[in-house]
Amino acid sequence: MSVTDGTQSASPGRPPTNVVVVEDDPASADVLQRRLQANGMRVSVGRDGAEGLALVRQIVPDLVLLDVMLPDTDGYDVCLRIKSDGGTAHIPVIFLSARGEVVDKVRGLSCGAADYITKPWNAAELLARIDAVLAQSRNARAPRLERPVTRPTRGRPLVAIALADEQRRAKAEGLLTADFEIANEGSGPVDIVLADPNAVIDPALTDGSTAVLVVSLGEAPSSGDAAPLNADLARVAKLLVREQRVERDMNAAADALIAVATALESHDRFMMGHSERVASRAVRIAQVLGLDSSAVDTVRLGALLRDIGNAKLPPSIVHKAGELRPNEREALERHPVLGEEILKTVSPLAPILPIVRWHHERLDGTGYPDGLAADRIPLEVRIVSVADRFEALLVDRPDRAAVSEAEAVRILQTSVSKGELDPAVVVALAAGARTTPTQEGN
Amino acid sequence: MAEVTLDTSSDVDRRKEHRFLVSEAVARLALRTAGSYLSLDREDRPYQWSTTTYLDTPDWRIFRGCEGSGAVQLRIREYHRTRPNEILAADSVFLEMKDDSAHTSFKERYSVPTLDVPAYLKGQRKFPDDPAGLSGRANEMIDRAARPIVVTQYNRIAYSAPDLSVRITADHNLMYLAIPWISHDDPMPRRLGPVIAREPAVVIEVKWHEELPHWADELYSYIRGHMVNERPSKFVVAMRHLLGEEQKDDVGD
Repeated sequence: MSVTDGTQSASPGRPPTNVVVVEDDPASADVLQRRLQANGMRVSVGRDGAEGLALVRQIVPDLVLLDVMLPDTDGYDVCLRIKSDGGTAHIPVIFLSARGEVVDKVRGLSCGAADYITKPWNAAELLARIDAVLAQSRNARAPRLERPVTRPTRGRPLVAIALADEQRRAKAEGLLTADFEIANEGSGPVDIVLADPNAVIDPALTDGSTAVLVVSLGEAPSSGDAAPLNADLARVAKLLVREQRVERDMNAAADALIAVATALESHDRFMMGHSERVASRAVRIAQVLGLDSSAVDTVRLGALLRDIGNAKLPPSIVHKAGELRPNEREALERHPVLGEEILKTVSPLAPILPIVRWHHERLDGTGYPDGLAADRIPLEVRIVSVADRFEALLVDRPDRAAVSEAEAVRILQTSVSKGELDPAVVVALAAGARTTPTQEGN
Repeated sequence: MAEVTLDTSSDVDRRKEHRFLVSEAVARLALRTAGSYLSLDREDRPYQWSTTTYLDTPDWRIFRGCEGSGAVQLRIREYHRTRPNEILAADSVFLEMKDDSAHTSFKERYSVPTLDVPAYLKGQRKFPDDPAGLSGRANEMIDRAARPIVVTQYNRIAYSAPDLSVRITADHNLMYLAIPWISHDDPMPRRLGPVIAREPAVVIEVKWHEELPHWADELYSYIRGHMVNERPSKFVVAMRHLLGEEQKDDVGD
């Protein structure tokens, strides 16, 4: 496995294109690698299918160039595996093969490849096809989940007036100057952007919490995020900024709750950092299962706050090292309901309430607090349940020693056989566990 | 909703069925021979993807039955030109019931609009009565909350006699995939879960009523003599993988 960087010749300011080449012939791989690097790409080479797959899962590249004939498997197999993993399915694959019959090309394309190029390849054609595939892929791809950049709250909100017409720009500035700070060019993300209808907003002006107000050309009444260029403009702009700030405050409130949950865990040396690990594991499972970014975010937050109800229970029960008495167990099993009570007053956290209340439910209906059957337990809840149980098995507890990841998967599969856990979620966990950094380092 | 009728590819009586795992070379030779005597099946063209979704109950009643004395497999089959990453992604699908014992099988299937599938899964619609009694057993499993649990995808090449007395199929790129448990309110189509395992070779199935013709008998003997091993049904293999009851030595990752 080798990784080399050709970014010195990449366009300035643009991230390099990451390419994984899966090719067993060193000479072919070398020629290809040099050619791609010369065009500003960062290239990693896998010498067989297993190595190539590991690279793809680790790097999540922009493109995979795949030989058909490999020492350990065939390229079709590798392509199918890439396309079957929710975390890598979006990556375009181009086959590079000496097999040039129609039947081979059809088979390659039916496995989900974006293109099929026969060897010996022509460099200009290869690069043109790569560019075409990358362009299609970028257009089709949904934006990645990113945590909004935290911006200091100013006394007056910062506005960028991105209107094309100079007179309209000056008038808007006059209308807003009493309540807003006007951004200079190159100021970075602002609180609100004023834009012409159908205008393309400069991404440098926005982050996750920037409001956009369209300034209509006529005198149409204000509606939602559009307003005319008149005295009403400042009122609508202030309203939009306030909405964004409330949402930001809610996020801050959620962060505070997470801090409380983390602080509770820190009293228990066996549980310290457990929620972070559960959240991280649950996010990976959700990604393997192909959940959208909003659902992944719900899973992450739900995993972090699922045990917040413990704050309402006596620490002597929550952190008890020995076996619980029946009345203590009964009290502890109330923590999902107590957690829901705490969080339901924060309306933006409504999507995570099922996770908090039901993360100890089981598919066969033997869980608590509601004894729900499989049909009623949402997938996001099932993901957190599996991640929680898996991570708990990896750490020492007063009553038992930690087990390895492989052993923990086997234990969960036993629970699957009993009908307690969703098998697909455990399979996704196992797929994710195989590519965790700790395991690769071993 | 329209009345559902039996598909013409359903069995009229019990048929013999053997499955073998063979190398690509043996599969090519077998298909070349089969192609000399049988015609290519219209629905199973090369490079068309067959996606089969198998149902089971939360206590794995169908799987345990298939491993033991026998049970009716419930499955949903759909065909696509390119491999879908969802199930129930076609306009119409085949609901199939298959009684699969060691060496014989009996299958009935119905073409239904995909939009009607949830009504079947919730038990609001019942499989029509049939002389073989498969539908009664299938409806009982639905009442026990049978749901999609595992999926197979493969490219199938199929050759059949005009009277369906002999059918020989070869499945390439066979993959077993998990599907997250589908609750009552989940929308369709539903995204497939991760790959559980993949067959490294080719699965050949030989199915026939009464006696095999001479050429097919010779071919059958050749396949038996050159196979990697005999295979249980895809459903049983998939479930063993899913429940961790089979060594996953053919999974490359």
